Amino acid sequence: MIPHTISIDHPIASIANSIIYLAQSPTVKEFDLISFANQLLNGLGIVGILLLTGLGLAITFGVMRIINLAHGEFIMLGAYTTFVLQSTFKMDLLLTIPFSFLFTAIVGAIVELTIIRRLYGRPLETLLATWGLSIVLQGVVKLIFTAQLKYVKAPPYIRGNWTLFEAGGQAVQISIYRLFIILMALLLLALTAYLLYGTPLGREVRAVTQNRDMAKCLGVNTSLVDMATFAYGCGLAGVAGTVISSLKSVAPPMGQDYLVDAWMTVVTGGVDRLIGVLAGAFLIGQSNAALAYLLNDPTARVIVLAAVIVLIRYRPEGLFTVQKRG
Amino acid sequence: MKSRTPRIVGGISRRRFIQYGSLALGTSVVAACSSGGSDTVATSSGTATGVSSPSGDGIKVGVLYSTTGTIAIVEKSLQDATFLAVEQINEGKGPWSGKQGINGKKIDMVVVNPDSNWDLYNQMAKRLIDEDKVACVLGCYTSASRKSVLPVFEEKDKLLYYPVYYEGNECSSNVFYTGAAPNQQITDSIPFCAKTFGKKGFFIGSDYIYPKESNRIAKAELVKAGGEVVGDEYAALGTTEFITIINKIKQAKPNFILSNLVGDSIPAFYKQLKDSGITSKDIPIMAYPTTEEEIQAMGPEFAEGHYTSFNYFQTVDTPENKAFVEQFKAKFGPDRVTNGVMEAAYFQTFFMAQAMEKALKEGKELNTASLREATRGQVFKAPQGTVKIDPENYHTYLYSRIGKWKGDGQAEIVFTTEAAVKPIPWSQALYKGRICVHQAPDKRSNPIVETNKDLAVELLKI
Repeated sequence: MIPHTISIDHPIASIANSIIYLAQSPTVKEFDLISFANQLLNGLGIVGILLLTGLGLAITFGVMRIINLAHGEFIMLGAYTTFVLQSTFKMDLLLTIPFSFLFTAIVGAIVELTIIRRLYGRPLETLLATWGLSIVLQGVVKLIFTAQLKYVKAPPYIRGNWTLFEAGGQAVQISIYRLFIILMALLLLALTAYLLYGTPLGREVRAVTQNRDMAKCLGVNTSLVDMATFAYGCGLAGVAGTVISSLKSVAPPMGQDYLVDAWMTVVTGGVDRLIGVLAGAFLIGQSNAALAYLLNDPTARVIVLAAVIVLIRYRPEGLFTVQKRG
Repeated sequence: MKSRTPRIVGGISRRRFIQYGSLALGTSVVAACSSGGSDTVATSSGTATGVSSPSGDGIKVGVLYSTTGTIAIVEKSLQDATFLAVEQINEGKGPWSGKQGINGKKIDMVVVNPDSNWDLYNQMAKRLIDEDKVACVLGCYTSASRKSVLPVFEEKDKLLYYPVYYEGNECSSNVFYTGAAPNQQITDSIPFCAKTFGKKGFFIGSDYIYPKESNRIAKAELVKAGGEVVGDEYAALGTTEFITIINKIKQAKPNFILSNLVGDSIPAFYKQLKDSGITSKDIPIMAYPTTEEEIQAMGPEFAEGHYTSFNYFQTVDTPENKAFVEQFKAKFGPDRVTNGVMEAAYFQTFFMAQAMEKALKEGKELNTASLREATRGQVFKAPQGTVKIDPENYHTYLYSRIGKWKGDGQAEIVFTTEAAVKPIPWSQALYKGRICVHQAPDKRSNPIVETNKDLAVELLKI
């Protein structure tokens, strides 16, 4: 029995399984326009989460080429920061965002300083080291907070639904919290783009990623730039954790759910451009939503994953990457 | 111009990512195996029992629960309940007061951690039996893990005490099932739903064997009760994104939702359902796996007004339950809650201890045959009420209850049977008249008997 977890286990078996599903279930049901419109809006909700979780990776992997398998754990740390602040100081979820950004960024800086720094240019070792780190972080959190599920509350003013219009007794509406997630994600994307392309620090970051040696010669403190960039990426993951935490429960393994999705998002969009994350999130989120509506959720996941694999086979650079001369 | 060729870097980081990922996964399994996955547990006497007990005069019992991975949240609490029971047996406290251990012998637990990995359950079970030479094993939560260890117990002829409500359709002479069979959870709850909420049911569950089988039975029961199935959706284990399923629910407009979601998916679904504007007044959820534990984790306000069908709730009003809740909180913290699965993990340990005591008193050697013979028909005053192991099918007579969740995360019991109900391992809606009778002590006999008639509900008479 293979549960359809999103881990990359036995894609063949998953596909075989999903074919069995398709054969079994009455798949395409009566098409209902209002529901489908709702579903497209819901898809935006998924896009928001993908974008939020993928942003940090777009920095650490897209810009720095670090394969960070502990990305999910930074999301988890952000969620726990919110939980701690909310349970001790009764703090509003929105107010905890800067704190979780700072905390995860500091943890990220320490990780860069102690682990990542020694492994630049060695992707396989980085992968193993960060994977080990993810286990350690989960273990530490479990020691401090136990494995019990915790929960955080969203503030009341971003609960409820926003109705676009009503037709025939049915409403097309989107949950306000989902809308908030999308706006938050777009805001962070804009901020990141500004930092990267509109500030001297961003210029240094790009210089270091393009030609480290030359940047060093020109007096850029490359190790400091590396640390700051990685910390910023981790901080973004922390913010994602805070925002997501009220949709579900907070637990040590929660980040695992988002790791593969975030990778798919970043890789599909193309890692060289920030806009790629947006494109990847939109493509994966909406196709996932549409397929899940027409078929069912596990099948949709398998189809999307298969499509991503095929895409990477023929466009290893992702969708939004300028073709370079070989 | 780049100093590193992106093609190579890209190739490694993306295309090989999957290979490396699976390599890493493989390594983790190897690491988990080679480390033995043993936790050391301080028993009541303060000694540590880990891989083996040096004293040699205790009775070794395997404890097989995951304390890491996706299912750890539940299984850790089952392990806690087991530890509490073993401590009480060893020290002569609680239900065991007035005695000391089992005829003076202490229970030595061999605790292993299969890391929520179904294959590891199988290996750990082999290890417990072959290397640690345990008398029997207490453990497993998911049906996937039970199916994984079942061949091991049958091949080596050892006993597993399994504390979880499950989909039925199984009748092994190597397992004592102390959780609910379908007729102790599904059979009462579906007519209740049809009568109380209406005819249209929307079925959801996690995507593995238990929820699918359980829903299959529940759907058949609903059709039998004159209802209609208006939806049937599954989400991958561990999914926390329910926006699509909720949209389908809105479209189908059911009278109630029957949920067999497990683990981390439960809080996510309840929260997102409420956020989407569907309250428990609009569409109530009837669930099987949603217990006090999950409700505490998501925040009670999200579950308020929804229902769960279970044999036990923390609010059950018996002196045994008051004592159990008190002792559990004293050992594990005042903020902890108890639930039905933990209760079964707790009382099955006493079933095992009583059986061992009986076998030893009769001067028998402790082996599978004597333990099986002694466990059949055991009666125990559990927190939920008096329960009994059915001597015919090795399942347990249990109460059937339905609870409506209140704002404090505890259940108001709205339905309960007068006494424990005789278990029927096969769903009568799907397999009419099929029962299971073990011809003890011959474990190789085929226990399935087709009676082809409607079975009456039998209650336990003590």
